[in-house]
Amino acid sequence: MTAVGSPAGAPRRPVRKVVVTVVSAVVAAVALAALAGQAVRGNRTVDAQLASGPVHNATVDDAFYACIDTQAHSLVGPGQTVALGGTNLADAVTMIKGFGGWVTVADSASRADVVLTLHNGSGAPGTCLGTRVVGTYPSADGRTTQRLGTGAQVAGQGPPPAPPL
Amino acid sequence: MSTVIATTAAVVALAAAGALPVLATVGLRWFAVPLAPLAGAVVAALSANASLSFGGSLLDWFVGLAALGAAVVFGVWVVRPDLGPRRAPAGTGGGGVHRVAGIVGFLLVVATCAWSLRGLRSPTVGFDARAMWVMRPGWFLQSHGQLLIDMKARGLILTQSAYPPLVSASTAVAWKITGVHTARLGVTTVALLNACALAAAALALVESSRGLARRVDRPWIPMAVGLVAAVLLIVVAAGVTEPFLTNGYADPLWSLAAVGAVAFGLQLHDDAGSRAATVVLILVAGTTKNEGLVTALALIVLVTMRSIGWAGLRGAWNRWRGPLVIAGCELVALAWWPLLMKSIGARGATSTFTASTDLAHRTGATIHGMSPYLHVLVLAVPLSVVGGIVLSGVRRRGGVGNDGWGWLALASGLVAVGAALVTGSGAIGPWILSTVHRITEYPILEAWWIIGFWAVVAGACLGDRSAGAGARAEAAPDLHASRSGTAPANEPVGVTG
Repeated sequence: MTAVGSPAGAPRRPVRKVVVTVVSAVVAAVALAALAGQAVRGNRTVDAQLASGPVHNATVDDAFYACIDTQAHSLVGPGQTVALGGTNLADAVTMIKGFGGWVTVADSASRADVVLTLHNGSGAPGTCLGTRVVGTYPSADGRTTQRLGTGAQVAGQGPPPAPPL
Repeated sequence: MSTVIATTAAVVALAAAGALPVLATVGLRWFAVPLAPLAGAVVAALSANASLSFGGSLLDWFVGLAALGAAVVFGVWVVRPDLGPRRAPAGTGGGGVHRVAGIVGFLLVVATCAWSLRGLRSPTVGFDARAMWVMRPGWFLQSHGQLLIDMKARGLILTQSAYPPLVSASTAVAWKITGVHTARLGVTTVALLNACALAAAALALVESSRGLARRVDRPWIPMAVGLVAAVLLIVVAAGVTEPFLTNGYADPLWSLAAVGAVAFGLQLHDDAGSRAATVVLILVAGTTKNEGLVTALALIVLVTMRSIGWAGLRGAWNRWRGPLVIAGCELVALAWWPLLMKSIGARGATSTFTASTDLAHRTGATIHGMSPYLHVLVLAVPLSVVGGIVLSGVRRRGGVGNDGWGWLALASGLVAVGAALVTGSGAIGPWILSTVHRITEYPILEAWWIIGFWAVVAGACLGDRSAGAGARAEAAPDLHASRSGTAPANEPVGVTG
């Protein structure tokens, strides 16, 4: 069997062959050992996601946003346009995370049928870790009415544990 | 419908959309399997582009584009039966042991990828995933007029709305066809796409080992090394990308797709199947996230340069047309979304380049921020130097790409992301702290892939009893006529030295 790279008649160079073979063995061994070592570390990283702490935090986070979502659904009727109110950036992000995907965002906040805001307080009944969605409904005469979101609650005090960024 | 069933249905739908184009261009090869859902995801991304550009629902465009792709493929097969799926796959000749290695490699890669997704047992939905990646699919399912408002309304503050669409569009397809509109389904669908990209990159190692094994006396050595390296690479990659691999973030997808694109486009044999795989993976990387877009553009340039090669530069003008046409099509597909965002005035589509003159400080902070995550380079660089000095002949004779291409691709991605940090307008400290572990995934994974590939090359050398003796004879004219009788047409046509 003639290997590619050793045409007939080529002079053998035993020393070079030994060097190449040894270096190949070292390169293969080092590379595979490094991959194996890093794989062990990687395996631990994946397992860490399944520890009780991260799983509990994820469950609380999930429950919080499901609660916010349900409360928003209780405040927004079919076809109603929505604006996200308030001046707190964190609240705006929380609302986007909770129900930003399905609400019909108003072209202009002043023309929205409902302005949704968050009211953060103590972990009272009817709240999501102390947070409640509040709907403000402007009427033609300039007055507004407010309603509190209902339909879900998560006991405890927020905010929910921050997931890794 | 349970999330497991919904996820399965979603991935099957994506795979169905991408299967025929992949089968037609890649052929019946193992790495075509993970590429099919990824190609379907690209179809979903293009559907989002079309839906936003011309109106019509995303799902209508998805079905329409998938049907169009299938019709074109069938048309080509009718006109040119020799291009059918049963054509001889290029570059993977060899006997039964090679086929067994292909099957075993595929099964091992799939099993290891599945095992690496066990993080999905935690119900985690990542911060950015909930705020952006698996929230925006709801917008894609609203009317055209409402989608425009969603993308532009200033009251929504979310400046990331203009990010490329693949992740959100794929999730939107999953939601629409299953009726399950949950963040969880978005996370699981994205995780499976991540696994597909990871499997493609790992199968590139298996494929390269099979290719190198055709040219040595003891082919089982490089193939065994390739299988081990591929399996280990998957576990390493899962560790590098967790928890983002399984919590809905877009960073792992573009990073893994870019690694696969480098593998198929710059390291493996430059055959038609590898080129097709490269196109799919470049499009995935470039339509997933802005960092992926910049890296994909760099990869398009590098892959085109490799395909044109020295022969093209020396006047073989026929070497220019194909690569340039492919690159042009890729550029059009990738530029569509960012240009669309500019034209509609979407939030976050305006330039964020800073006018700051303190670039030195930002550069220093970027380098210091990234350095702790790039320790793999301390191993990869010397390994490549040693391999390049002693084993480059083996690579050349094996017809695989020069290691330098991989390093150029790694450097391109690193420089692109670093430049974005240096020239961006955000406060550099918090920005790096909150993102550096994600934006360095690509160079880290690329370095590990390079290490794995050197193991395969070294395995090929160990499997060649004449290694070293003929190390200076690699340029002999008959070297590419391997003992397996593979036609010269299957040999690399690009710069492989």
